[in-house]
Amino acid sequence: MASAYNPIYTDVPEKDVFALHFLQTLSNLRTQNSFSSPDNKTSDRVKKIKKAAYVSMARAAGATNRLWSRSLLHQAAKRNNKNVRFLRRKRRVTWLMRRRSNRGDPIEDVAAERLRNLVPGGGGMETSKLMEETAHYIKCLSMQVKVMQCLVDGLSPK
Amino acid sequence: MLEGLVSPESLSFSYADMSVPERLKWLQQHQQQEVLSLSSNDSPELLQILQFHGSNNDELLQSTFSHFQMVGSGFGTNYNMGFGHSHEAMDGCISRTSSCQIHPPDAMGVMLKNSEENRAISLKNKRKSEDKTREEEKTEKKIKVEAERESNISNKEASSDTSKETSKGASQIQKLDYIHVRARRGQATDRHSLAERARREKISKKMKYLQDLVPGCNTVTGKAGVLDEIINYVQSLQRQVEFLSMKLAVINPELEFAVEDLSVKQFQAYFTNFPVVIASKPSVMVDVPLFPLDQQGSLNLSVSNPNQTSIDAPSESWETQSQNLFASVLR
Repeated sequence: MASAYNPIYTDVPEKDVFALHFLQTLSNLRTQNSFSSPDNKTSDRVKKIKKAAYVSMARAAGATNRLWSRSLLHQAAKRNNKNVRFLRRKRRVTWLMRRRSNRGDPIEDVAAERLRNLVPGGGGMETSKLMEETAHYIKCLSMQVKVMQCLVDGLSPK
Repeated sequence: MLEGLVSPESLSFSYADMSVPERLKWLQQHQQQEVLSLSSNDSPELLQILQFHGSNNDELLQSTFSHFQMVGSGFGTNYNMGFGHSHEAMDGCISRTSSCQIHPPDAMGVMLKNSEENRAISLKNKRKSEDKTREEEKTEKKIKVEAERESNISNKEASSDTSKETSKGASQIQKLDYIHVRARRGQATDRHSLAERARREKISKKMKYLQDLVPGCNTVTGKAGVLDEIINYVQSLQRQVEFLSMKLAVINPELEFAVEDLSVKQFQAYFTNFPVVIASKPSVMVDVPLFPLDQQGSLNLSVSNPNQTSIDAPSESWETQSQNLFASVLR
């Protein structure tokens, strides 16, 4: 194996955990009054389900251990105007900005910028950390997609 | 190549000619693995040798070469060792003034060998500055440079860096708890570029890992292509999530599912090792007591289904199991 530390750090829990979290969030969504009323537009419902999916994924994947999940939860909380209690980690932003201005590799930077926009919480990360987060994010996303696919298949009329 | 060195045509010995190109090839092969650890102390002697390079005088050549160890077999072993050893061995080789009585043809053959070695030394001298910096590297900048021995130990440990290494035949391995960077031949060794190189190597390692993760990335070469592929993959995954959530939204509200059925206890029936957690709101609850749930790892999907499906859990795939589960729970 090429690198010793990558496989250890990007472990992702099993599908069951994802499924559990997703179903929980979905069920809690449905207890909301606004959801089950028929005059609700589909797009709103879709958005809520999507948000629920991401939030449940973030929680399932170890919420505070990963940068992207933290920022996801943070964003979701802000949208709902909920107070979020996080353990604040020290953010060495100034060091990062200085570093990035000095050592920009033009090939990497363009693509890294796009990646930063895609992966939640990518703005404050250095490129190497970004790569780790991307790997974990990809694994969790694929897990979540599988879970949702199963759900859809199970619920679709046979 | 050697003809320019030893210009007198009388020095054309057939056996020497046969062996010289072979040795040249060997020299060239081992050039990359040499320990070029010459310091300035030896330069006067080497300059002396170099002076005599251009001369056509046999006697002069012979006199200089008398400084070298002239025993044929001994020279053979020295030859092999001399390029793998550190500086001291060469020193001893050069400074020894053992003068042996050698038959002239043998002497010329040995001289040819010597001249070849001198040529190697002269080449080394040209690269002295680089080597000096690498010397500095070894001794001074121990923090981020790892010196490797040409031994089995290094081969075992060098699994990840085999592509770029120049094995330094140094006598010590500085295994510190720092980020280890292998300095390549002919590269700048100041602190900043070392750090830069370390960072770049880290990034490339992680890109390799990502490349294994993302399907279909193996064909693309180059960092930009791989990164593009990764970005496309992430985008496609996100689009898939959106699409599936749309599907769910369409399917679900049409069914009259009883929400009351979906209770924590039911989940407990399906999943063992399930701590009782009551999630009250769909919005973010990041309280600490929820997190033990996240740490669980793999739960055992125990098949204690209220539906009388088959209970041979290990044989059934997860997909069908979960589908039954979902169907029963959400209907």
